[in-house]
Amino acid sequence: MNSSSSLSLSRRGLLTMAGVGLASTVFPRKIFAQAGGGVLVIASGQDIPNFDPHTATGYSASFFMRNVYDPLVRVSGNPPEPQPGLAESWEVNEDGTEFTFKLNPAAKFHSGNPVTADDVVYSFGRSLKLAKGNSWMIRDIVTPEGVTAVDPATVKFSLTAPYAPFLQVLPWIFIVEKAAVEENLGSNDGETYLMTNTAGSGPFNVARVEIGTLYHLARAPEAWQAGGGNLDGVVWQIVRETATQRLMIERGEAHIAVDLTSEDMDSLEGAPGLVRVIEPEYRTFSIKMNTENGPCADVNLRKAISYATNYEAILDAAGYADLMIGPLPHGILGHDPELEVYRMDLDKAKEYMAKTETPEGGFTLKMMHVSGLEQQRRWALIMLDSLKQLNINLEIVPMNWPDMVAACRSPETFPDMFPVYQTANYGDTDNIAYAAYHSSRNGNWQNAVYSDPDTDALIETARTEIDPEKRVEIYGELQRKLVEDAPDIFGVLERRKLAMRETVQDYQFTPVASNAIEAWPLSLG
Amino acid sequence: MLQFIVRRVLLLIPVLIGLTVIMFAIARILPGDPVSLAAGPNATQAEIEALAVEFGLDQPIWVQYGQYVSGLMQGDLGTSLLTRRPVAADIAAYLPATLELVFAAMAIAVLIGIPLGLVTAVWRNRWPDYLSQVAAIGAISMPRFFLGLLLQLCFAMWLAWLPLGGRLPIIVIPPPSVTGFLTIDSLIAGDWTAFTTALSHLAMPAIAMSLSPLATIMRMMRSSTIEVMQQDYVMTARALGLPRRQIITKYVARNAVSATLTVIGLYFGWLLGGTVLVETVFDWPGLGLYATKAIISQDMMPVIGVALVIGLLFVFANLVIDLLYGVINPKVRYS
Repeated sequence: MNSSSSLSLSRRGLLTMAGVGLASTVFPRKIFAQAGGGVLVIASGQDIPNFDPHTATGYSASFFMRNVYDPLVRVSGNPPEPQPGLAESWEVNEDGTEFTFKLNPAAKFHSGNPVTADDVVYSFGRSLKLAKGNSWMIRDIVTPEGVTAVDPATVKFSLTAPYAPFLQVLPWIFIVEKAAVEENLGSNDGETYLMTNTAGSGPFNVARVEIGTLYHLARAPEAWQAGGGNLDGVVWQIVRETATQRLMIERGEAHIAVDLTSEDMDSLEGAPGLVRVIEPEYRTFSIKMNTENGPCADVNLRKAISYATNYEAILDAAGYADLMIGPLPHGILGHDPELEVYRMDLDKAKEYMAKTETPEGGFTLKMMHVSGLEQQRRWALIMLDSLKQLNINLEIVPMNWPDMVAACRSPETFPDMFPVYQTANYGDTDNIAYAAYHSSRNGNWQNAVYSDPDTDALIETARTEIDPEKRVEIYGELQRKLVEDAPDIFGVLERRKLAMRETVQDYQFTPVASNAIEAWPLSLG
Repeated sequence: MLQFIVRRVLLLIPVLIGLTVIMFAIARILPGDPVSLAAGPNATQAEIEALAVEFGLDQPIWVQYGQYVSGLMQGDLGTSLLTRRPVAADIAAYLPATLELVFAAMAIAVLIGIPLGLVTAVWRNRWPDYLSQVAAIGAISMPRFFLGLLLQLCFAMWLAWLPLGGRLPIIVIPPPSVTGFLTIDSLIAGDWTAFTTALSHLAMPAIAMSLSPLATIMRMMRSSTIEVMQQDYVMTARALGLPRRQIITKYVARNAVSATLTVIGLYFGWLLGGTVLVETVFDWPGLGLYATKAIISQDMMPVIGVALVIGLLFVFANLVIDLLYGVINPKVRYS
């Protein structure tokens, strides 16, 4: 490492990197020699909270589940496409209410027992009963009675209503071995047991755990999945500093780093032996306005603000990102790249300002942001500057995240402006649309206050419509409606930034859960 | 003596009650909504409420407190709202790393601080004394995390002697856990590679934490040595013509150490509570990192658990120190 070139970094980052560099000088690069040719090391900042596929949340947990457990259907590609998982094939009835899955006869659990329809029924029942983790994705659509074992290798789902995103949701509901869990039920449906034990059928199983430090998954001897890469194992190593992750990837101590910043990516440009993955994913970052209470309840003021916002400055502050065109992320089903959206236009801003009760401005709005998050702070300053042109003052309040979440509980406590990231947890428009704009989410931070019956109706119709073309039409209407309502300042789509060694082969980017990497298809060259 | 120990252990009860009451009060006063946070963005109102019920957070605070205390009696420290892991198990996993760090720092501080204090007292008002006094003031006033960063710059970057952080690199398989201290466990297992590796990881954070207590212990030792040296019995010993070395080791040092012990006991608690920053700087997987994460998400059970454990250890450390007075100076009576 050339220290003079690093001096532009923060002092902390410099030190951190220096140390890791050192670690590898002191402990020569026998890491991979010792671990065998095929152990992939992923550096990540997030610990894996627990191993239970029906309660754990977060991208680290998703990584764990995707590799240790199997869902009926996997997802890969861009746009994300459902692929066979435990189910080798499936059929849908005409109105989209009945799905029948044929299980792969080769599929077996780590215990050696085959995966049967009973296990699938049990897993969905358990997920719904616990009502934690990813169960919200199937809530109200799948009922315990609606999942039945037709025969040991066939499962039938009778949905409560047609549900277009069903196949996109399935990759996130994982199948546990019924017998293994039932032997260890305890008083809480096996939650205690599965917290630290596994009952899965995935290509890997837990080999070594050091809580807060590393999770080593080794290829299961009975892995039944066809194809796949040459990995003997994969290590999820907790590295809290992104600068440290960056140096590890540079020095070859990790194969993939998942939490890098734009600055890290810049400095990795042209680094030998490295591949930078900078791809748009389904993750929006916008500023929500209080549509129910305070000055922003006036749609004309929201439009005035939307026109006064300096979008170029917002984009600059975001690093590797694209400006949003409307409420939906680029590339997702139904997104309209031709949509007419707000761009900075002071004349129009003043025009709408004139329609409000306070055409001359002269009042103060309040914007919260997470304290310590530099990008959010910069955005707040940009808004401060933008609003000055309408003679509106902005009070910027840095807060802890739990306090901000609490503020979302009612329109009275919700600030006038609230910046928020929204990630698609499954690869369908319904996820973003529902979470961000459906009134049933009011009180939660993803959509604290915005509530509109027409919007609700559009979102509900789109999720029960199974003809993709008709869905595109409905989502088109939804986007125009939301631009008209202007509940948010549509901000940016930050690109996913991953760095990996060139030796990692067969990696394919998917715009959902792209930092919860599925290791099975990968190889080390 | 036994009576003394029993009384001190019984004294723990009001201390722990006080700690739990204060922590519960703080949890109630704090704004924020940890339940919504833990339930996740996709939870319905009903689910958030169900979670609150599951964790008993819908109950009045005194009921919650009663449940907590009755759990505590059975060694149950509650469950983390965020990870749903039992707090006791988490603390058991993280505590050894922190203790190893604190003991190592304490060992450095005592093993260097006491002899150094003695030496500077004997050589009072000469250059080694002045030099160490100046260094001590610097060491006491230096924030630990900043010292940690300086050490990283020096020993990790410029000299390239020590690794930056963590307890062991991923290639080294940790020895079977006996004490939870990697250095001691690897010695027990006879694994020299693991031992030296663990020691090299431990060195910098331990030094960063040890400097302030080292300096205080040194100054304390110096002043109490000077005081003891002016006592009549020392004067008598000198007048009798006993060798200087014998006077210092046999009569002065023993008596001077008793006074210093109190400082050591207090510093033990100070180090435990203060691991947060050092652990963050060195990515040391201990209680400090665990507590930080819990505090940020207002996950109160882990926070209360960590506070209790640290409080408990602090009280025990002081008990041990009190007992040591008697070992060092048989004149001390426990009554």
